[in-house]
Amino acid sequence: MKKKLLSTAAAAIALTVLVAGCGTNSTGGSTSGGNATGSGGAASGNKSDLKVGLVTDTGGLNDNSFNHLADVGLQNAQKQLGVTGSVVESTSESDYIPNLTRFAQNGYDLVIAVGYLMHDAVEQVAKQYPKTHFLIIDDTITDRPNVSSAVFKAEQAGYLAGAMAGLLETGKSLPNLNSQNVVGVIGGQNIPPVNDYIAGFQQGFKKEDPNGKVLLQYTNSFTDQALGSQYAQNEMAQGADIVFPDAGGCGLGAINAVKSANKYAIGVDTDQSYLAPKNVLTSATKGVDTAVFDTIKDLQTNNFHSGVTNFDLKGNGVGIGKVMSGVPQSVIDQVNSLKQDIISGKIQVSTTIQK
Amino acid sequence: MSIFADAQIWNSTLSMAVPLALPAIGGTFSERTGVVNVAMEGIMLMGAFFGVAFSYWTGSAWIGLLMALIIGGLTSAAFAWGAIRVSADQVVLGMAINIFAAGLTAFLLDTVFGFSGTPPTTPKLPNVSLPGIDKIPYVGQIFTNQSILVYVMIAIVILSHWFLFHTRLGLRMRSVGENPLAADTVGINVWRLRYAGVIIGGLLSALGGAYLSIGVLNSFSVNMTNGRGYIALAAMIFGKWTPLGSFGAALLFGFSTALGIVLQGNGVSSNLLQMIPYALTIIALTGLVGRSIPPAADGLPYDPKR
Repeated sequence: MKKKLLSTAAAAIALTVLVAGCGTNSTGGSTSGGNATGSGGAASGNKSDLKVGLVTDTGGLNDNSFNHLADVGLQNAQKQLGVTGSVVESTSESDYIPNLTRFAQNGYDLVIAVGYLMHDAVEQVAKQYPKTHFLIIDDTITDRPNVSSAVFKAEQAGYLAGAMAGLLETGKSLPNLNSQNVVGVIGGQNIPPVNDYIAGFQQGFKKEDPNGKVLLQYTNSFTDQALGSQYAQNEMAQGADIVFPDAGGCGLGAINAVKSANKYAIGVDTDQSYLAPKNVLTSATKGVDTAVFDTIKDLQTNNFHSGVTNFDLKGNGVGIGKVMSGVPQSVIDQVNSLKQDIISGKIQVSTTIQK
Repeated sequence: MSIFADAQIWNSTLSMAVPLALPAIGGTFSERTGVVNVAMEGIMLMGAFFGVAFSYWTGSAWIGLLMALIIGGLTSAAFAWGAIRVSADQVVLGMAINIFAAGLTAFLLDTVFGFSGTPPTTPKLPNVSLPGIDKIPYVGQIFTNQSILVYVMIAIVILSHWFLFHTRLGLRMRSVGENPLAADTVGINVWRLRYAGVIIGGLLSALGGAYLSIGVLNSFSVNMTNGRGYIALAAMIFGKWTPLGSFGAALLFGFSTALGIVLQGNGVSSNLLQMIPYALTIIALTGLVGRSIPPAADGLPYDPKR
């Protein structure tokens, strides 16, 4: 009896994963153009009826961050370029390959994979479907002619955010800043796209506040808000009064905790100031929406190119978002001049984390 | 070690134990009356979503909490009907509720609130520092700025222990989970007590879910319980189907999470720390606590006509 119960439970769990992995959200209004063109890809003549599939990572569309931005890019393309878009959310890492494959199989012209964690899945599926175009965000795949990679100089945005935190800590120019000069960083996972932000943040902060301290912790989750909240509380208990969460949906919990404690946070990926207008100093942003939109446009005009496209401060591919009112103009000016120094190459930001 | 000198770790432990202890005690009520309950995860999700949704719609976190309890109670009543009245397979039914709740809450979040989720202005339940206790050094820090549901949980732990093991009704509830036929013979209404057990379980699970969405935070995200309903199931078994044991296990699991957070700041690998709760569970289940024995009639539908 017990054994039977266990096996039914196992079957039920397997079913959950299957069901959860298959949920498709058709975004926007243009669902009419469903005429299957079969092979799709490089050969198709009229480019206005492109079919674009977007596969999110486990953070999902309501992460107020990375995946959300990719969807914004796709929606803009649907409105302005008239393409047909479809989104599928991955609930676990084992969904990546089935989700990518399904779009490729159904004759989609472009399949967008959001995130570094999908590297292996894209490699495999792109090889299997050489006629389908792929775009991977935040990762580098160079050996496939049908894959384009969008890479962001997130360290540059992190640098500016860190510099602002450093200037505010040394200047004590906001209420509720303690005298310990400690700031906290919360990473979702110890992986390059996360660490790029963090490395830049550390360098920017140290430049303006050489004696200050940057706490660094990883939650190993991009989804668990309650856990993110605990990490933020822990860092604040260690004296941090500015917290920079870089953990997708999990980071939203950190911003929530910061807001409750009346301290300060720096948003990530998208402009997150609306989450807590009196607590979010600014956001280190990544133009994922631009990358998605541009790639769709390139494909439409037969300019799809494989290999790496870099997005940096220069073309507003990365940057900082809305600055909280209360941050002194002198601080904003200094951050802006640092931005010019990075663009001109006077400051080189490395992607190496200091432990 | 110096990390224990800081009360923050105990503060985190207590806070992380709440969403495990409440559903674990809820599961205890259900299983003590003989109904296997694996639907805690789903009912938590329902409580979490409707708690924050009604909190936003009505502008009162208390009404949100009330609605979380009502919806959680209704969901568990549906489960109870299937498990008790129709004698459906309780594990399959419980899993079905989990799948249903995960889908429904994700769907409602997207359709009702859009992809930016619940608005940041949604009210949450107050945090409370106990007057008097918060002046005591160290201990005070543990109870500083905790959600009001932390204190509710402590009261529930004590009350459930008293109820299940020191009242006549508690004894009757346990008896229908051990030997329903004998209980029926002496005039105890088996079905009614099983309904009560499952619905109390649903209320406590929904409370645990609401703790996440309007106790710690003021927002809902897809699958925000993150498997806590299943960890609560482990806590219930680890706690030998008792409220005090479930609470102890929840504290232990909460502590391992808190330890993970604190130790990481001291340069310990985060991947290693992530497995602490599971390693502790395995060690505890195999060695420390001996065999955990479920109620004898746990999972067996009762048909008085047979």
